[in-house]
Amino acid sequence: MSGKQTAERGTKSHGTEERRPWGTLVALVIHTTRLQLRSIVVWGVALGLLNLLTVASFPAVEDQSQVLNDLVESYPPEMRELFGIGEGTDLTKIEDFLAAQTFNFLAPLALAFFPILASAGAIAGAEERGTIDVLLGNPVPRWQLVAGSFIATALSLLGILVILGLFTWVPAVLMDIDLSIRATVEAVLNLWPLCTFFGGLAMLCSALFHRRALAIAIPGAVLVGMYFVDALGNTVDELEDARPFTVFYHYASAIEDGIHWASFGGITLVALLLVLLAALTFSRRDIYT
Amino acid sequence: MSAVIRTEGLSKTYGRRSRGIEDVNLRVDEGEVFGFLGPNGAGKTTTTRTLLNFLRPTGGRAEVFGMDTRRESVAIRTLVGNLPGEFALEDRMTGERLLRFFARLRGVGDLRYAYELAERLGADLKRPMRRLSRGNKQKIGLVQAMFHRPPLLILDEPTGGLDPLVQEEFLEIIGETKAEGRTVFFSSHNLAEVERACDRVGIIRAGRLVAVETTDTLLNKSFRHVSLTFDEPVDPEPFQKLPGVGELSADGTSLTFTLYGNLDEVVKLAARGRLINMEYERPSLEEVFLAYYGDHENGGSS
Repeated sequence: MSGKQTAERGTKSHGTEERRPWGTLVALVIHTTRLQLRSIVVWGVALGLLNLLTVASFPAVEDQSQVLNDLVESYPPEMRELFGIGEGTDLTKIEDFLAAQTFNFLAPLALAFFPILASAGAIAGAEERGTIDVLLGNPVPRWQLVAGSFIATALSLLGILVILGLFTWVPAVLMDIDLSIRATVEAVLNLWPLCTFFGGLAMLCSALFHRRALAIAIPGAVLVGMYFVDALGNTVDELEDARPFTVFYHYASAIEDGIHWASFGGITLVALLLVLLAALTFSRRDIYT
Repeated sequence: MSAVIRTEGLSKTYGRRSRGIEDVNLRVDEGEVFGFLGPNGAGKTTTTRTLLNFLRPTGGRAEVFGMDTRRESVAIRTLVGNLPGEFALEDRMTGERLLRFFARLRGVGDLRYAYELAERLGADLKRPMRRLSRGNKQKIGLVQAMFHRPPLLILDEPTGGLDPLVQEEFLEIIGETKAEGRTVFFSSHNLAEVERACDRVGIIRAGRLVAVETTDTLLNKSFRHVSLTFDEPVDPEPFQKLPGVGELSADGTSLTFTLYGNLDEVVKLAARGRLINMEYERPSLEEVFLAYYGDHENGGSS
């Protein structure tokens, strides 16, 4: 009797059910999402509170609109761009005000760290913690660990965005501020491809290197670098040609102009390519604990 | 009898300087309990992690159930229960949630055996991992390796951190596993454990498999540390002359020596005096290695 036949007999005799290959991926996604539940709430509420305060401060700002617009106009253009206040921004409009205060500046820079941290922890972090050997002792293909973590993080990100959207739109309605639900949805949804892009980059770094710190530091540096290049590229000639190579250039300002779906799809596709590269890389390397 | 594990010239090196394992040729047959022994850093963990495709071999090949460990790793892991030597479990998860997750990954619907194992080993499935001691985490590690009744168990230092009663229960379970015709491959540096559980042992040292023997053969090669205390000063010379006695030292009423032969003559000679204490110790496995395989190489990866 061959080893394979022996194994088949052994498995069947002990009542193991037929295993579905995609079942492991679904199980991984559910498992990882559950582990991220607390983070979803913490990130969603933290960023949501920021937006809530921004919305709550809008009526006071509205009253001082001319003073504020004059003040902003007096800033050097480079500084305005760095803080996400583009040319023609009218801070008396809630959409422009939210764009300048959060959606063009703080929200993408902060929220991108959620998928970066999650993806860095999925491979390199699991190696450092020592959890990966037990997990991969199960019949899980390595690519499914990468894909499952990424899908779970992308779903968790949607959860955070829902909380963020509610914390933005509900106070506006309660305070009788004219903020449409469509603008709110587009503003928060537009954060998704940008954040998944950095999640994909962190996943690739996590697959390439065995150290979680590197898988956080490299995408973190790329994130900040891209932001500066895009922001300053509006006013600094030397950086203008580099802007299209940053995700922030394609991210634009959905709350003011709506989602640019080609950019949305393009950034998502690049994120998926990064994850594919991560899966290929991780499948071909040693696992250290 | 078919081979469950077979390696041919299996080698794994880490860069230029760090040695892992070299030219390991090993065969473990169906239904046997095979002890994989060696001091720390000998290459036990490197071998087991290479079998599971966590590490890619730099030379040679390995098969488990006739399947190549590189190309058919997922299929192999369907048939293997694995307890890593160094591992951690998700801090916030309870043992029960972890087992349910692993059961879903393996398509196991019935967790009765998992609960039975947990009860027998005294594993606490209700508390989150961060609140468990090392021993309790080890118990849950054992349960997750065994609950699906795999045809092959690969266990790396399975009794580390367990108290003696739980170790005893673990060895009972290994006996039952063998009785069901399943195969166990476990690495250890605990000679007593190996003596109890294993049919055959492979000894790895400095990355090379230096011997594969039946457990009886290994133990017969072994020696004992003997310490005798009498109620009055004792003449060491008659003990010195006994066959198999070496490294003898005398200190008034006490004698300490290493016995390579039969204990019977030592006991008879000691009985001529008034013996108030006798200690008879099994050597550490490391000492057995030093005695039988020399001490020409050191260190390495684990």
